[in-house]
Amino acid sequence: MKALIKQLSIQLKMDVRDKGTLMVFYLVPLGFFIVVGAVFSSVNPEIKPILSATMAIFSTTMGAVIGIPPAIVRMKESGAIRAYQASGIPMISVVITTGLSALIHLSIVSIAISLTAPFLYGANMPESITGYAVTLLFLLLCNVSIGLLLGAVAKNTQTATLLSQAVFMPSLMLSGIMFPTSLLPTPLQMIGNLFPATYINHAFRGLAYRFDTEIAPHTSMAIIMSVTILTLALSIRYLGKITSVR
Amino acid sequence: MTLAVQVNSLVKKYGSNTAVDNISFNIYKGEVFGLLGPNGAGKTTTLEIIEGLRMPTLGEVYVEGLSPIRDTKELRKVLGVQLQISTLPEVMRVDEAMELICTFKGIKPRYDLLERFGLVKQKKQQYGKLSTGQKRRLQLALAICGNPKVVILDEPTAGVDVQGRAQLHNAIRELRKNGVTVVIATHDMAEAESLCDRIAIIINGKLAALGSPEEVTAKGSFQTRITIRTKKGNLTSQGNIKKATFASQKENNALWLCTDTASAIIEMLSAIDADDEVLVLRVERPSLEERFLELMEGGNS
Repeated sequence: MKALIKQLSIQLKMDVRDKGTLMVFYLVPLGFFIVVGAVFSSVNPEIKPILSATMAIFSTTMGAVIGIPPAIVRMKESGAIRAYQASGIPMISVVITTGLSALIHLSIVSIAISLTAPFLYGANMPESITGYAVTLLFLLLCNVSIGLLLGAVAKNTQTATLLSQAVFMPSLMLSGIMFPTSLLPTPLQMIGNLFPATYINHAFRGLAYRFDTEIAPHTSMAIIMSVTILTLALSIRYLGKITSVR
Repeated sequence: MTLAVQVNSLVKKYGSNTAVDNISFNIYKGEVFGLLGPNGAGKTTTLEIIEGLRMPTLGEVYVEGLSPIRDTKELRKVLGVQLQISTLPEVMRVDEAMELICTFKGIKPRYDLLERFGLVKQKKQQYGKLSTGQKRRLQLALAICGNPKVVILDEPTAGVDVQGRAQLHNAIRELRKNGVTVVIATHDMAEAESLCDRIAIIINGKLAALGSPEEVTAKGSFQTRITIRTKKGNLTSQGNIKKATFASQKENNALWLCTDTASAIIEMLSAIDADDEVLVLRVERPSLEERFLELMEGGNS
């Protein structure tokens, strides 16, 4: 445990030094929030009440799905994971540290967005702060797990970028965050149902803002939790394969 | 002599390709053992099996009596490893790297090693900003921070400048002085000759030679070269010399070839007139590099 805490503290210090990490976890999501938040609140007034949640989903999905995979691929390609292994640092602690540090950064960003959206763009405060906080936590855990899995599966940076976009773009366009899914053709609606962002959107609307939703909020939360556990288990398995003795 | 590493009938196959083909050798405690071979010969695969990072297809390996496959946790306590291709995150500082590895080994950070390897000034420097030599020295410091009994260094001086190389060589000699067994894989024959007590040459996955650098060299077909020049210009033909063979003459220097160097020199000096004078006497033993190239060409093994 002491070693894990040490590794996490070093990881966080390294993240602060790394311009790329700061860019992906802070600058881009916050810039995205400022620009897109302004556009959304003026173009689509229907989204305004839940803008805090919408922007939190956007920003954390972007940070986790686009930010985490290249970081893991770089570690794999450079031999850092193997060097850690040869030095007696278990692979599981690398996964935990990478996931936790991303979780901390994205929590800071999403809390900043949630707190400033009402003042900047007139977004509503959630009906249930607890519901908002719990959904936000599930959102963060799910996105980080997906980011870890994409990083574990991708063999190189190009593949990582491709996989990230394959998850990020449909999450953005088909989950009902940008516009109602009822405007989409049925096949696209069905594809949208494959992405956790859809259920996170339902969970926020139902649990935090007390709106009626097509899918019951608790069902959405159960789906998000299942996806989180599955992707986390798969990412540990894939990264384990890399460092396994073959 | 006590064994530090045992490699018995080791085979490693990747599909139909045999990377390591029935290799056996022992490494004794406190010696510097060199693993030599061309690129793709199977050196790194052999080392990675010893390090417990790869599974052998057949055969057995023991490090300090431990199996790298079954006793992984115990192995990490007795073994220090510097991989051929390994790096730390670019933004990780030197002191953080030391703290991290030492924390996982359950020991206090070994800043003394940073001092020993001339990295005190770079303590707060990021890994990505270190020179190749500094990176290699840091990796060596990290490999030995847990006071291992066996240290494996895969091409420790690759890409390192002359000064950095000398520092690394001194560090390796110091490890041997302290009773640590050092296994190094290298392309550098001069490095192997000067550092290693014994070497193994691996070619195409097979063990081509094993012994001290002198023993391995002596088994080749190359002979010691003696160049001699006297004031009177004698010894420029075979004459009565029996222990050496006259090879050629160039600018009054006569080149002789022999296997028993001492006897040949004594015989040659005896053949010089009392009033003559030796102006040049140069002895060149066959080098390990010549023997290595001979083995590569499938010569006397």
